[in-house]
Amino acid sequence: MLKGVHQKLEAQQTPAFFVRGPSPFSRMVFFCALSISIMAIDARFNYLSHVRQAFIAALHPLEVVANTPSEWYRDVKKYFSVHNQLVQENYALKQQAFEHQIMLQRLNTIQAENVHLRSLLHGNNPIQHNAVLGEISHMGRDPFTHVVVVNRGSQHHIKAGQAVVDSKGVIGQVTRVYPFTSEVTLITDKELSIPIQIERNQLRAIAFGEGNNTLDIPYLPANVDIKVGDKLVTSGIDGIYPAGLAVATVTKIQQNSESPFAKIVSTPVAGVSNHSQLLLLELPDAIENKTSQPTVKETVEHNKDTVNINNKVKTDASH
Amino acid sequence: MRHTSLFTVYLTLLIAMLCQLFPWIGQGIIFRPDFMLIVLLYWLLRAPNLCNVGTAWLAGLLVDLATGSLLGQHALSFSITAFVALSYQRRLVLFNTLQLVAYVFILLIIERVVMLLLKLFEGNDNPGWHYFWPILTGLLLWQFMILMFGGLTRPKTN
Repeated sequence: MLKGVHQKLEAQQTPAFFVRGPSPFSRMVFFCALSISIMAIDARFNYLSHVRQAFIAALHPLEVVANTPSEWYRDVKKYFSVHNQLVQENYALKQQAFEHQIMLQRLNTIQAENVHLRSLLHGNNPIQHNAVLGEISHMGRDPFTHVVVVNRGSQHHIKAGQAVVDSKGVIGQVTRVYPFTSEVTLITDKELSIPIQIERNQLRAIAFGEGNNTLDIPYLPANVDIKVGDKLVTSGIDGIYPAGLAVATVTKIQQNSESPFAKIVSTPVAGVSNHSQLLLLELPDAIENKTSQPTVKETVEHNKDTVNINNKVKTDASH
Repeated sequence: MRHTSLFTVYLTLLIAMLCQLFPWIGQGIIFRPDFMLIVLLYWLLRAPNLCNVGTAWLAGLLVDLATGSLLGQHALSFSITAFVALSYQRRLVLFNTLQLVAYVFILLIIERVVMLLLKLFEGNDNPGWHYFWPILTGLLLWQFMILMFGGLTRPKTN
């Protein structure tokens, strides 16, 4: 009789209440495999950049909503700023504008003179950079990378690879462009390098980001002529950054007797952590035609190529 | 436990996404809790019939897309955490508040460690101890979720 009852029970279906689909373990295994393959595709190939761009564009309204509280806060803060403070600021700015105007007059004559001299020597004219004004809307959301997001995108004709500067110096380079925003990788990021020269003695080098708000200048001999406090400016030989923009100041030099190279640490001069306006410099035509969407690594390699070319040009000119 | 609708789950996940998108300027980003993960864990533990490993994976993928990080890394860490969360889900009614917080603490540590491993594989540096701050701020957010939507432990009947 017991056997009969057992058979009866076995014949029954499991009630719907207990049906939970595949077990969490099998689901976990499936989704882990899926995400690992997506990671591999994203890291090795460029298929997913369009998906990402479309998603970011779709996300833009949500982003605007998320940004409104901080914008309101800023507006209210501006509204309640003290009258006295405004008057003082106005006075200081007027004085600054006056000083700049005087300097600009000299600059115009010097520029005209420079063009004239270059034409006498049959040299090339320096590359003219147009620029678009943008504003840092927020830091990158991934604390591992040194990235800021700027409120200008492909709708404002921004292209990947453009140099970005603020009033004090170079900030970095545009690495990803979305329709209304773009990602600027800071010069302190590990992936970015920038061709520089020392302002004092025109020594050329390449500075690499270290990932912790400093720049490293490797491959310089231990007896190199660099002092603490030296200013590093862009050398302009990559064609992306115009020559003479401030990049960083040398803060520490370590000479290790075991290594043939000096360890030179410098800190950037541009205010990358402040909420500030910045300029996105347009790419020169030659580079724009060559690579429409350069990645960081590509532009670095490109920099190296142009360094070599420039050396050649220099030696030719000296003959 | 009260009945929850699918609508509430997705609405709170959307709000979490919005919080994830809040602009952060300066060093405060170190303390930012993982909004998406906390809300996900809450629904995973409370209504596993509505929110499962697949939901966690999708949420992770959306976070990846929004943050611009390597696609699939949040998806991976979220699905592993969701699996661990679900494996003890039926025993949660026996836990008291402190035990539940400890359980969530362990889950958040798991997510951070998986993420750290992925980041190290990618070639990033060791970020230092401040990388684990979001666990503590996340626990605060967890208590807030419990205040908002009610606890997970069985109310005392005697």
